[in-house]
Amino acid sequence: MSALEIRNLRKAFGGLQVISDLDLRVPSGARHAVIGPNGAGKTTLFNIITGWQRPSSGEILIQGIPVQQGRPDLVTRGGLSRSFQKNMLLESVTVLENLRVACQAFDASRHSMLRSCRSFSGVVRKAHDAAAQMHLDHVLHKKVNELSYGQKRQLEVAIALCAEPKILLMDEPAAGTSPDERLNLIKLINGLSSELTILLVEHDMDVVFAICDVITVLSYGKVLATGTKVEIQSNPQVIEAYLGQHHA
Amino acid sequence: MSTEVTCSEPGAVPKLSAIPVSRRFHAILLVALAAGLCALPSVVSGYAMTLAVEIMIAGIFTSGINLLTGYTGLVSLGQAMFFGLGGYGIAIGTALLGWPLWASVPVTLVVVAATASAIGAICTRTRGVEFLLITLAFSQMFYGAAVKLRWTNGSDGMTGIPRPDLSLLGVSADSPVTFYYYVLAVSVLALLLLWRVVNSPFGSILVGIRENERRMMSMGYAVANYKIGSFALAAMVCAVAGILQAQYTYFVSPDSMSWQMSGEGVLMVIIGGASVIFGPFVGAAVFVVVKQALSLITEEYNLFFGIFFMLVVAFFRGGVLGAVNTLIGKRR
Repeated sequence: MSALEIRNLRKAFGGLQVISDLDLRVPSGARHAVIGPNGAGKTTLFNIITGWQRPSSGEILIQGIPVQQGRPDLVTRGGLSRSFQKNMLLESVTVLENLRVACQAFDASRHSMLRSCRSFSGVVRKAHDAAAQMHLDHVLHKKVNELSYGQKRQLEVAIALCAEPKILLMDEPAAGTSPDERLNLIKLINGLSSELTILLVEHDMDVVFAICDVITVLSYGKVLATGTKVEIQSNPQVIEAYLGQHHA
Repeated sequence: MSTEVTCSEPGAVPKLSAIPVSRRFHAILLVALAAGLCALPSVVSGYAMTLAVEIMIAGIFTSGINLLTGYTGLVSLGQAMFFGLGGYGIAIGTALLGWPLWASVPVTLVVVAATASAIGAICTRTRGVEFLLITLAFSQMFYGAAVKLRWTNGSDGMTGIPRPDLSLLGVSADSPVTFYYYVLAVSVLALLLLWRVVNSPFGSILVGIRENERRMMSMGYAVANYKIGSFALAAMVCAVAGILQAQYTYFVSPDSMSWQMSGEGVLMVIIGGASVIFGPFVGAAVFVVVKQALSLITEEYNLFFGIFFMLVVAFFRGGVLGAVNTLIGKRR
């Protein structure tokens, strides 16, 4: 069974067809990238998979179970978590509090109204673990608005990991980072469990090639090609539509 | 006591010497404040005690607004409807149906919670200005009903609302001093309850919704349910204030549900400091005292109060408590 399966997906905004007849299968444990020029429908695809937008038609299955559209919270509970292209963090609280709130979402303690959140040590411990996984343990007590941009990107991924997902969707995790921050992020992502399925949208081809083993190229909402790094790099259609000669 | 919940290593119990100076300072301040409030009736005149009662009732009402506005990020102009419902609830229970007060109060709170959940389920589907306007619309609807309904005496309101029977303690709640202590006890209980709530996992979810609703949904939270929960809880707190106000004046009228009442509550939150547990009480104190003082000086006190409010917003970022925190931060 595929970790993620998309069948005949279509999405139109009025007369504009953004995604047409898209099929995609991502096996468990795969590192799969979706690339394509601006307007290819990558972020729309992510938004549909994660329940933020409803498709015009088609079906999405996570671990064989259809996604309930319009309920991002249920998609996350179904085992699929995402990080955002633009940071979506709880800016005025600390890194630890961001992670604790994220971990708490899957703990019965979230319903508690009269006990201090500090008394749920299991949740706090999980938050510490998530921070360690993305090398944020030294900034735990800093407020998010005091972090560097690269650290904020790491926190984006760490929050998504708190859900202990089977599938992790990352929307341009390296966007806006410096070369050093990018290398660090690649190292951290490659260090994640091999059982975790990763679907990545990224413009930076160095990041894509460093993380993913299968790449799907979208163009005008359609799959142009799917293959390994070598296959994609040598595909003339892909070179013409997206890569150019630099990455060929 | 701000919203930020900093969780250190799990299970760690700090020694007194390890508690930060600011927290010890807060603790000392709290004890001094509690002692001052307990001793107040023996050191001030009846007028000052009247003001103190008004401040505490307004503080509880504003705390309800603060839970919704300061902590959850939902700015409402309709919370007076629950303040009024609290007053009308016990008025109907005691004066109209002849129920004892001990039965009327919990029934009122349950009815308010149910009503608020239903209204909240509709209102929380909107955000920002739309939320503000839809809560205002609901509030005006209840206000209109209170004015028109004959069995609640329409715009004349209802009288004969009893104060609690404290004869077992050998005192009468009709005495201003006893009523002061009664309101003080309810205020402390309301504050303690709210303090527990905002520091609980539920409270941290509300802060998360205020900070980034989309992220909270993406984390796996059914955000709509928490917003309705916050709306209902805030309504119950406002209703407690409404009950106290009705007992204080032995009277309730549609004016208690007016939009001005809701607006003044929001002003108090801003003046005191939103998302700070004591902010509403500080805001209520400043609001009541400044307004009273200005009204003694000039008949145009509303004009000068408007100027005062603008100055607070312009120069006291985060309200009075926000300014105090900034000052303490700079001195360190």
